[in-house]
Amino acid sequence: MSKIVFLAISIVAVSAFGQSSSLPIQKQIYNARDKVMPALVHIQPVIKNYTTGELEKQAVVGSGIIFHPEGYVVTNYHVAGKADRILCTLYDKEIVTAEFIGGDPPTDIAVIKLNLEEHKGPLVMAEFGNSDSIQVGQYVLAMGSPYALSRSVSAGVVSTRDRYFSSEVRLPTGERTGNYNLWIQTDAAINPGNSGGPLVDLSGKVVGINSRATLFANNLGFAIPINVVREVTQAILTEGKVTRSWIGLHCQALVELEDYFGTERNNGVLVSSIDLGSPADQSFLKAGDIILKVNTKPVSARFVEELPAFYYMISKFQPGTKIGLEVLRGSETFNFSMTTKSLGELQGEDFEAKGWGFTVKGITRQMKLENQLEDTIGVMVTGVKRIGFSEDGGLTRGDVITSINSNNLTDLAQFTGIYEQSMSIAQEKVLLTIKRGKGVRYLVITADKGKGETVNEEM
Amino acid sequence: MRRCKLRNFVLAIVLPLVLFWLLPRPAQSQNFDFAKLESQVKNYSVIIEIQIEVSFGINSSDQEERYLGTIVTEDGLVIFDGTDLASDNLFSSFSGVTVKTTPTKISVTTLDGIKYEAEYLGFDRFTKVGFLKVKMPEGVRFKPIKFSKQYKFKVGEWVALYMLMPEFVSPPLAADIGMVSNLIQSPENFPLTVGFSAIQLTAVLYNSVNEPVGVLGNIMDPSSSGSDMSGMLESFGDVGIPLLGVITADRIEKLITNPPTKGEIERGWLGISLQALTKDIAEFWNLPLSGGIIVNEIIRNSPADVAGLRIGDIIYVVNGEPVEVDREDKVAVFQRKIAALGPGIQVELGIMRTNNNVQDTLTLLVTLQKAPMSSSDAPEFKDESLEMTVRDLVFADYMAYNLDSADFKGVVVSQLIPGGPASIGGLSLGDVIQRIGSAEIKTVAEAKLTLENVAANHPREVIFFIWRQNQTMFVNVKPNWN
Repeated sequence: MSKIVFLAISIVAVSAFGQSSSLPIQKQIYNARDKVMPALVHIQPVIKNYTTGELEKQAVVGSGIIFHPEGYVVTNYHVAGKADRILCTLYDKEIVTAEFIGGDPPTDIAVIKLNLEEHKGPLVMAEFGNSDSIQVGQYVLAMGSPYALSRSVSAGVVSTRDRYFSSEVRLPTGERTGNYNLWIQTDAAINPGNSGGPLVDLSGKVVGINSRATLFANNLGFAIPINVVREVTQAILTEGKVTRSWIGLHCQALVELEDYFGTERNNGVLVSSIDLGSPADQSFLKAGDIILKVNTKPVSARFVEELPAFYYMISKFQPGTKIGLEVLRGSETFNFSMTTKSLGELQGEDFEAKGWGFTVKGITRQMKLENQLEDTIGVMVTGVKRIGFSEDGGLTRGDVITSINSNNLTDLAQFTGIYEQSMSIAQEKVLLTIKRGKGVRYLVITADKGKGETVNEEM
Repeated sequence: MRRCKLRNFVLAIVLPLVLFWLLPRPAQSQNFDFAKLESQVKNYSVIIEIQIEVSFGINSSDQEERYLGTIVTEDGLVIFDGTDLASDNLFSSFSGVTVKTTPTKISVTTLDGIKYEAEYLGFDRFTKVGFLKVKMPEGVRFKPIKFSKQYKFKVGEWVALYMLMPEFVSPPLAADIGMVSNLIQSPENFPLTVGFSAIQLTAVLYNSVNEPVGVLGNIMDPSSSGSDMSGMLESFGDVGIPLLGVITADRIEKLITNPPTKGEIERGWLGISLQALTKDIAEFWNLPLSGGIIVNEIIRNSPADVAGLRIGDIIYVVNGEPVEVDREDKVAVFQRKIAALGPGIQVELGIMRTNNNVQDTLTLLVTLQKAPMSSSDAPEFKDESLEMTVRDLVFADYMAYNLDSADFKGVVVSQLIPGGPASIGGLSLGDVIQRIGSAEIKTVAEAKLTLENVAANHPREVIFFIWRQNQTMFVNVKPNWN
């Protein structure tokens, strides 16, 4: 059964302020429709899910838009990011396969490429507009496959153009997302399945990628501004991924805290928390400092809506760049510098240890920070099969396996190596050393190639 | 012909007899002299009425409970079913929320109708036996129960108890009988009973010659399986159904001679986290042991740390007795043994330690400490104007949040009134407050001082620096001084 991917949607709308405002609105809608609809893609990926302790494949449905003459399609990472294979239905109802090119969890953007040799007929691509120039109240159209109903158009207006979401939101694959951008909110109907589809202005330009909506609400849809999408897709096409700098800062809007810190309005960014072991942690900076300037450029985040731009600015530095900060602490100003590091992957690679009845992933630095691990050594258990063997052996999601049969592990590659070797010699019992919170535990699991029960008596 | 007769005989006589013996036997078939027993029981039975305030995070409610209690000392020590009051902070490890059951008003009424005030002393974590102390008027002495110790239970023997009837029923006591169904030897010695129910917990059990031989206890309670964060298993794990049995007179006497003073009976504590040495693991490590305790983690400055235990050590002997823990559900036996020894006691541990694939055995002397305070016992301060309560960080918090007790300090937001200034300002249950205004906060005493100062000065806003889910942040709380 298909699952409809849900996070975003878009609208159909006609802009009263719009570009070709001499035409009647109905006419403008038709024009925009005719420009963009032929580039619309109904995407049916089969995605890989590891959270149940085994590799499960799920058919899902999302939307996308062709933006490049070579058949590149932009969609959401949560639609196609973990795709095993991808089927696309184009506007002319032709079905072609596509391959995953690259994705960016922090912005929830992915690029796939249509296998054009399978497609007869001309390819139409949509044009990206400028999301900085859209206006609240402007008509917009959302196009896509709400609840898998392909080639659907809805209309509305831009409800707000600077909606802020904290990065507490996570993709289904576990990554925090939305740290670097604000969202275009629209009342054009956006439903599950619209994810990855375009939000279009009346001149027929794509101004956003519909990515989220509030369930059970009336017409609260959210699109990623196309200027963000443009940059991300370009990076994916040229380098395969987006590279970001990381210094380990968490910031907070100053508006409610200006009296406490004695700061002027619109002057500075408050550091609320610093990641352990980060460049910021190793520098002079500490929580409660107010960053006034980055490389002599004044910065400010009085409101939460200004935070993504600050994070974005930091992320834009080439990793390894030395940046200078001017910081207010108490009434004193300090100048110092720190060298950024690469943000790296948010989540590690997945692996199914089928014979052992559980799945693991490699541990990235960001996972280490989020899970309060001491280091990135070992692999993290992501799922344990219910009626499998590991569950009885006491293994739990979140456990970190640090050694197998007294062989210490450093990373996923070593885990896979040991796993495969153990399976090849049909080793019956395996001793795992795991870390769970404080302290270690030892577990003996019984391997099985398909059915088996554990004889382990552990709780 | 003869065979036919035999069959008739079997059908007519033997079968009914067999069936009769298989059926539960009515009380009349027992030799209990209930008239005599009741006159004895009346001397030391009391009806306890307790008002209990139950609070969980933002919610609190009052409930009234009645229990049958038993006077166990001349000067008014009373035992009763402490289960309701023992339901402490199992949730605290997840959100910092404290479940608290606080007895607010206690009265004890003897069966001849004399009412006394009493105070709650605490409960024993394992048996869930609760303790009250009657506020004795001048010159009054009670006639307490005298337990018969060293009684040998037999499978199949019947035991009797009295239970409390609802308030509108008179007389208040009703008799009931049950049978000893199994003498459990492993993981621990317990006579198991059938025929009783959990509403009769802590009722005194009598043998057929009217001797009080123990009290009814919850031997295996599926609802409380798992460990609490101070390192003590509540029960042997989940067997799906509660199993009731006898807490023997010997165990009860031990509790009576050392009743709790504040909340709980003090338990001995090693300061390790541990797991069973199963057969599988012993095989993997080539250990010549059929059971033991694997030391998984050692708390800094704990007795285990001070004595020189190491992670990976196997404890296989305690005070000369082998530790036969080969299944995870037997870990509780070890924990109870250590706990029951009590703080300040020196224990001799036989250790197996592997160094470079060589197994050494050594003996370590460990002086047990008192088990760490649970969050429900932690000192707290209620700020009426901000409408929140904070408490000290306890050991369980450090374990649950994986924090370093040496350098992480603060107070935990344990209660928050919805709609109150603290709640509206953005504080959440479980937040750890580390700074209020410019004052560093390490303890409730410091928080109290600072917040009282705030209340005296009526500032427009109070800025908290807090720790939440591995990050710090500032929170602006605007008090309502009207």
